[in-house]
Amino acid sequence: MREIKTVTVLGANGTMGAGSAAIVAAFGKAKVYMLARDVNKAKEGIEKAISSIKTDTIRPRLIPGSYDQDLEKAVSESDWVFELVAESYEVKEPINKRIAKARKPGTIVSTVSSGLSIARLADAFDEDGKKHYYGTHFFNPPYKMILCELVTHAGNDKKVTKKLGEYLDKTLGRAVVYTNDTPAFAGNRIGFQLINEAAIKAEEYSDKGGIALIDAIMSGYTGRAMAPLDTADFVGLDVHKAIVDNLYEMTKDAAHSTFKLPDYFQKLIDKGDLGRKSGQGLYKMTKTPDGKKEKLYYDIKGDLYVPVPKFDIPFIKEANRRIGEADYIGAMNIVKEAKGLEADIARYFIARYVSYSLSIVGEVVETKEMSDLAMGTGFNWAPASAFVDFLGGPKEAISLITKAKLPVPDVLAKAKAGKPFYQLKDVLDARSLFKG
Amino acid sequence: MKDAVYVLGGEQTDFQRNWTKEGKTFMSLFREAVQDGLEKVGLTPDEIKKLNKQNRIGVFVGNFDAEQYAVQGHLGAFLTEVDPCFFGVPGARYEAACASGSVALDAAQTKLRSKDYDVAIVVGMEIMKTVSSSVGGDFLGTAAYYEKEAKGVQFPFPKLFGKLADVLLERYKLDEKRYMGALAEISRINYANAKRNPKAQTRSWFMNNEHANARGGEFNMAVGGRLAITDCSQVTDGAALVVLANKNYAEEFAKKKGTKLSAYPKIKGWGHRVAPITFEAKVAESKGDKWVLPWTRQTVKDAFDRSGLNTKDIDVFETHDCFTSSEYAAISAFGITQPGKEHEAIEDGVIDFHGKKPINPSGGLIGAGHPVGASGVRMMLDIYKQVTGTAGDYQVEGAKNGLMLNIGGSATTNYVFVVGK
Repeated sequence: MREIKTVTVLGANGTMGAGSAAIVAAFGKAKVYMLARDVNKAKEGIEKAISSIKTDTIRPRLIPGSYDQDLEKAVSESDWVFELVAESYEVKEPINKRIAKARKPGTIVSTVSSGLSIARLADAFDEDGKKHYYGTHFFNPPYKMILCELVTHAGNDKKVTKKLGEYLDKTLGRAVVYTNDTPAFAGNRIGFQLINEAAIKAEEYSDKGGIALIDAIMSGYTGRAMAPLDTADFVGLDVHKAIVDNLYEMTKDAAHSTFKLPDYFQKLIDKGDLGRKSGQGLYKMTKTPDGKKEKLYYDIKGDLYVPVPKFDIPFIKEANRRIGEADYIGAMNIVKEAKGLEADIARYFIARYVSYSLSIVGEVVETKEMSDLAMGTGFNWAPASAFVDFLGGPKEAISLITKAKLPVPDVLAKAKAGKPFYQLKDVLDARSLFKG
Repeated sequence: MKDAVYVLGGEQTDFQRNWTKEGKTFMSLFREAVQDGLEKVGLTPDEIKKLNKQNRIGVFVGNFDAEQYAVQGHLGAFLTEVDPCFFGVPGARYEAACASGSVALDAAQTKLRSKDYDVAIVVGMEIMKTVSSSVGGDFLGTAAYYEKEAKGVQFPFPKLFGKLADVLLERYKLDEKRYMGALAEISRINYANAKRNPKAQTRSWFMNNEHANARGGEFNMAVGGRLAITDCSQVTDGAALVVLANKNYAEEFAKKKGTKLSAYPKIKGWGHRVAPITFEAKVAESKGDKWVLPWTRQTVKDAFDRSGLNTKDIDVFETHDCFTSSEYAAISAFGITQPGKEHEAIEDGVIDFHGKKPINPSGGLIGAGHPVGASGVRMMLDIYKQVTGTAGDYQVEGAKNGLMLNIGGSATTNYVFVVGK
């Protein structure tokens, strides 16, 4: 692989494009051509890049340009072309054809696609181009979320993959997770499985608090800073739909039915209520008559927004208290033994998360550590293996999964008792992801 | 020194964590640090119970300001909350501002040398993100002479160490651009080193020489005279634990572990000096001296005298870079250069990770983080790792002897330990 001195970023005006360009210019000290539909958009991207990483020193290395005027020249000078245009074959494939014509042999070309087939996108290139074509899936915002899924396809050269992985890790400071060319790769496959199933359950329990109830159950003590439906609202319901629709169409695993988009999501999308970016979606912020901020949630049956209630769920209070005292095993014991619907839901989702995270080992990633790293650094969710330890070990985790009538992943079934299941302690302290 | 004290190992928390954001308190920080540390060393609750029954073990807690940051004092008693095996174990808290960890280490080694106890558990901890940085800055002002140097001053310590930068510049008639470039390089090195340390606060943060030199403006604001944000260590939550033992126990422990006593490094020398508390008095006192911080230099000399070692024997340093100006002054205090020539060692790569005299392979306070009461213990842990070859990606090749300098206040309380096999 050539030394990466010049990079072209396509889609440089978006949050991901600008944020990724900033990483490459700052950590990689590369000259970066920032290309957008027009040069003014690219200039906006430069300002976004600077403010994302908070250093003016990268400004001289960021060069604005447009696809029409500058793409061929920029690509021909580049060692890496990083494409972050809209998530569809219709947009990416024509651009890839132009890149393929302009690139020099040995230039890396990669896409930040979160779900499209890397092999299909690589088809636009000649043999050398295919060999150097990858998915480099950064997460939002790139400076804070350090995960990069490095997606390979059958045409790649292992030596180039190794060098690119080292560059992403050592130079750009990414947590590199190597994944196969499978739908949504590792992070989004696991993350959006849970989010969409939470959305389905919210509809099932609509009369009991729906969206707000499910998020209250899936709060900090379950190892996530942001509850799943809040996350869907944050990323945008349209983005959520694109990911789960693709997964529903392209996968046939044991969780297949949980990727079906609930009707009320589609209803909100059709109305333009996409989440935080459009002002309202699953949630909506408002002000009370006395000027206080109030969070409302979407009441699925009533088709209206109502205030998020303060749920009084004793086992959650107790689990939170234990987490607050750094008693993680104690907190999981509370969850394991609690009675009632909310506790049943909590146990189901913890079981589902552990089961599904570990089930992709072999198909999507080679080791459970890759799956753990993806969730810990891409979503800030406590990795599945850490749950196994806090639940009391593989035997206890298997018991929880079996009671939830979910598949026991091979890697868990074959685990040896008596030694920690979580192996990334010195890379990522999973305890930090549990919020009391 | 007679009556050797051995370092059996330890552990630190991930200094990147924000315990308040996690909904956790100082007690959780304490609990995780102690549980992880004892597990790493291999000191079990049953063993602690046995040692306690024989009155052979004590606990020494270094902490600066839990009263203000966490509304809690009496920290020496808090191991009893971690595990019942600590019921009855003698414990107390030790304080000397940012040198609190070292004063705890010193108290521990004294008890071990006198054979009052055979084992000492030393914990340093500080939780600082419970308040805003300006409120925290005011709390830290009590490490100076609050009434005279900090009351009503926003961020007093950057200003005090900014003054140190001024004095160094003027005293040695340095070229300002070259000098400020050297300070920026100190920052760059510490951040670069921190990237190899999986427990460092800034391990995923961006920094390079260009950015560190771009002082002023919205991205690298001036905070104390010539010093900008990149010249400062950051507000950090964290704790560290080390276990020390005298020969009585170290031999027993080595046998239990199936290893030799020589597997554990010793504290070979130490120094402890207190300079006048106000910065103004320090500057006045040092007029005519080769060193601007003569008591810091004296502390290093004391440690060298006690150990029978000298600069040439030290393979790795951990220093108190609360600010780039403090690390700059430490370079000559260590004897790496003559005073006023520190920038030459920086420019020539002497203190770099691969240099002849690497300083702060951990990232130091600027890179690894500065939970004030924990810093001394963290430095001891890092020197232990270096001389036992267990520092992983930030291992300095072939390190046999290491030296740590931990200071409290504006270089007021000075502590040095020399550790090696």
